[in-house]
Amino acid sequence: MHTIPACLHKIGIVSKETADVLVHCEHVGGKLKMKKVVSVLMAGIMAMSLAACGQSSTAAAASTAAASAAGTSAASSNEAVEVSVAAWDKNFNIPALKAAEADYQKNVNPNFKLNIIEESQSSDVENAITLAASSGDYSTLPDIVLFQDHYIQKFVKDYPDAWQDLEDTDVDWSDFGAEKLSFSTIDGKHYGMPVDNGTAIFAYRTDLLQEAGYTIDDMKGISWDKWIEVGKAVYEKTGKYLMSMDGDGNDLPYMMLQAEKSSQFKDGQPYITENETMIKVIDVIKRAVDAHALYLANDWSDYTDQTIVGDMVAGVMNGNWIIPTIEQVQENSGKWEITSLPTLEGGQEGFASNGGSSLYVTGKSKNAAAAKDFLAKTFGAGSTETYDAALTNGGVIGCSTKAGKSDVYNQGVAYFNNQAIYAKIVEMGANVPVVEQSDYHYTCRTQIAAAIQNIINGADEQSALKDAEDQLKFAMQG
Amino acid sequence: MNKKKNRSAIQRRLIPSYIFLIIWSFISVFPLYWMITAATNTTVDVARGKITFGGNAAVNFAALLKAEPLGQDMLNSFIYSSVLTILCLAICSLAGYGFELYHDKGKDKLFSVLLLAMMIPGVATMIPLFKIVSGAHLLNTVWAFILPTISTPFMIMMFRQNSRNFPPEIMEAARLDGLNEFQIFYRMYVPVMKSTYAAAAVITFMGAWNSYMWPKVVMTKQTAQTMPMLIANLAAGYTIDYGVLMMGVLFCSIPTMIIFFVLQKQFAEGITGAVK
Amino acid sequence: MVEKKKKSMALLAQQKRAGWGFVIPATAFIMVMSFLPMIEAFLTSFKTGSSANMKWANPLTFNYTRMFSDKLFMRSVGNTFLYLIIEVPVMLVLAILLAQLLNNRNLKFRGLFRTMVFLPCATSLVSYSLIFKSLFATQGLINKILIGLGIFSTNYNFLGNPDSAKVVIILALIWRWTGYNMVFYLAGLQNIEYSVYEAAKIDGANGWKTFWHITVPELKPVIIMTFIMSINGTLQLFDESVNLTKGGPANATITMSHYIFNNSFGQGVANFGYASAMSFFVFILVAVLALINLKVGDTRE
Repeated sequence: MHTIPACLHKIGIVSKETADVLVHCEHVGGKLKMKKVVSVLMAGIMAMSLAACGQSSTAAAASTAAASAAGTSAASSNEAVEVSVAAWDKNFNIPALKAAEADYQKNVNPNFKLNIIEESQSSDVENAITLAASSGDYSTLPDIVLFQDHYIQKFVKDYPDAWQDLEDTDVDWSDFGAEKLSFSTIDGKHYGMPVDNGTAIFAYRTDLLQEAGYTIDDMKGISWDKWIEVGKAVYEKTGKYLMSMDGDGNDLPYMMLQAEKSSQFKDGQPYITENETMIKVIDVIKRAVDAHALYLANDWSDYTDQTIVGDMVAGVMNGNWIIPTIEQVQENSGKWEITSLPTLEGGQEGFASNGGSSLYVTGKSKNAAAAKDFLAKTFGAGSTETYDAALTNGGVIGCSTKAGKSDVYNQGVAYFNNQAIYAKIVEMGANVPVVEQSDYHYTCRTQIAAAIQNIINGADEQSALKDAEDQLKFAMQG
Repeated sequence: MNKKKNRSAIQRRLIPSYIFLIIWSFISVFPLYWMITAATNTTVDVARGKITFGGNAAVNFAALLKAEPLGQDMLNSFIYSSVLTILCLAICSLAGYGFELYHDKGKDKLFSVLLLAMMIPGVATMIPLFKIVSGAHLLNTVWAFILPTISTPFMIMMFRQNSRNFPPEIMEAARLDGLNEFQIFYRMYVPVMKSTYAAAAVITFMGAWNSYMWPKVVMTKQTAQTMPMLIANLAAGYTIDYGVLMMGVLFCSIPTMIIFFVLQKQFAEGITGAVK
Repeated sequence: MVEKKKKSMALLAQQKRAGWGFVIPATAFIMVMSFLPMIEAFLTSFKTGSSANMKWANPLTFNYTRMFSDKLFMRSVGNTFLYLIIEVPVMLVLAILLAQLLNNRNLKFRGLFRTMVFLPCATSLVSYSLIFKSLFATQGLINKILIGLGIFSTNYNFLGNPDSAKVVIILALIWRWTGYNMVFYLAGLQNIEYSVYEAAKIDGANGWKTFWHITVPELKPVIIMTFIMSINGTLQLFDESVNLTKGGPANATITMSHYIFNNSFGQGVANFGYASAMSFFVFILVAVLALINLKVGDTRE
């Protein structure tokens, strides 16, 4: 059918259904006086779309030619190669990428260039992929993207064309912790190259603990009930909270559950009201807030700016990427130390991880071979040059056991009273239990956060959690 | 003597009005004053509630330049907004003129249909519009920015309303003088409707300068970013430096304030004509 | 004579063509940029699945029925209407009041007052949301002032409590948009001839009566227009929900557009079919309310 709407559909401006609707409109419109107007409009649209037609076809031809040319030249030659990567956080991830770039330039290809596209937050990358996949136009994406671990499974499921796996590289995957890899391995294939270590730590102000009559060793393997007692004492003696949490994001319950080897999901379904551990955890949180041991910040920026940088807390529990934030309060240098997390029962150490991202190669990347080689020979090879520089310049603690043995990793850190925190973190990372994850991880966390808010404001615990579970089940309909 | 007494009596009766206006003006201006002082203070001082000027302006400015491409974004915003304003005014004034001065039933019906477009929520058309723009390979260009709002029912309506003040007799006279229809528009209508164009320019430019959601979708490269996106970036960071943030907000607000100050009088006249 | 008629008819035809020609570019753009996407969004609302691979929903109205059992969506509708019902009347009353005061010839510094009242409109929505967020923060300026004045004894978490957070949004909206509407009312007032007021004064009417029985009826078309514009704007409220409160605390203040946006871009789960269905619902709401408004105040010929 050679109608104008059909042409519009062919070049992708409108979908088939819209084209059919328009054809129908044309038939009807022909009967009205408006026919003239409509045909003029259609002519105008056609003119615009023909222009686009011409552009897209020549562009497509050009890009396929370039792709085949780039693909054949292997990355091991000294040819000028440029690989682009999108990442956020110029104080953390981007120095890590720059460290890898320098490593690759020195040891593999001096004419390699890494074009780092700075995004302001992780959701910018997610949106870019959503938009590209929804419109079928992947040319807007860079070769590599940094992507949050918790979202990758859904994104690979929904947009399979946007990704390439790393199976054709010879990376030793056993060098990385199983828990970290569990996020980026889909159907047995490795898609992501781990970058930062999300292992959770509990950092304490040893001087404030001392004022309340406790030492850091007391906090190791402590039970939550005992921890609340300590928190009460610290608050009374020093006026500071033993911990704060982002009220919007529910980092805390998730980590507490993980330390108990439990998850918010079971067999793909929400596991909340039937999850005894979850109920106990929520109860602990409520009691902690009531005892002034735990402070609930309004949102993320309040959590970091007000409670941590604003020096309101004597303890911080979160993924270790929170350390640079703690270190911003320079006058407290030397007064902090880290240890593991409490558990419900006590008597054993709790381990968890939170957040973290990995590097993924995008599906229609024209420099895929070069990108994969870059990743494989830096992060993937446990290359101490990359990891040491990433640690020194960006505070990025990696997941590579091999790299974790370097001197840089084993140095004492002045801010933390000369504790060798990096090595300790890598060591702790090996103990993090693998728990069931879900595509709806963040959706669940939002619901739990809302439930906690309601409980703090006086709602009944059971009904608030039931509400959260119902909402989550509803959202999971997809 | 009597006149003087009268005048002061009038002023005395107006005292409640003055009080109310002073209060409301204060409320209106104070947050902006706070924003300016915040731009000159350190983030710690801002968080502590300082409302006097500090000495940190230069430091904040330097940090702003380091964090974001301020010059580039100001230029981008300026180019996008200006191009949009010029084209929008051209197209919509033409349409408003046509709807009012070439009035007929068909056009009335068409106009009512176009008004429906005002009710369409921006969120709904975002994805299809993105497909159109990216399909035409116009992402990160000025065209991506301006195409969705180059023609709005509100602008057409504004010109249409104001065109009521344009005497159709001028058109007849011009036709007798041998001018064709477009020349009448160009040589007769446009100069007369200056204040309307000024008002429309202010509204369009300010709207374009301040728009956030759509540019965020179509400007994927940092080099194509706009000022509101710059501010959102500053606020999305891991930790927020309020001094730097407010410095950014200041830069974002200055052009619109200047435009308004310069074109105030014509703006008021243009709106007055529109509501006659 | 016949020739003259023929000539004038040809001229008229040419004029008619020109008239349509003037109108076409604007119309074409609106058709392509607003109506076409809306049609496409409407069709998408009947689909589900990954946005790269949408399939027809089963049953077709799945997204629509889901919408009405979505508690969070219903809450966003409630929030948006709450803002609408409280903010719009307060703001419009304030705007008329200010316009009335500023319309007084004897008032000095009118230009200055007018500029200051309009100044909030020069800020971008992102900017002023962030300013208000800082001002009402728990350690922010408003808290400091209230404690200093002795009204509060400890810092109050304005943005952490659902009710006070909503109040902050409403206050911010009033601050931002009163000046804008005031300009329209002022213009409308200045179109009322002074002689009308003088006649009323001679008849013995005082200020209040004049206001109600003369000013308001004369302003009716402007009032209707600002009402429709405000309803349209408030129902589509987005920037404030995103930047001032992030929809929080815990999605207590989220608006319809914000929720729709979250379902398209936001938390990794892109559900365009559902988002389109909700958008269509908003579209109908706005259109219905606007129609009601027009019918109620129908003065157009």
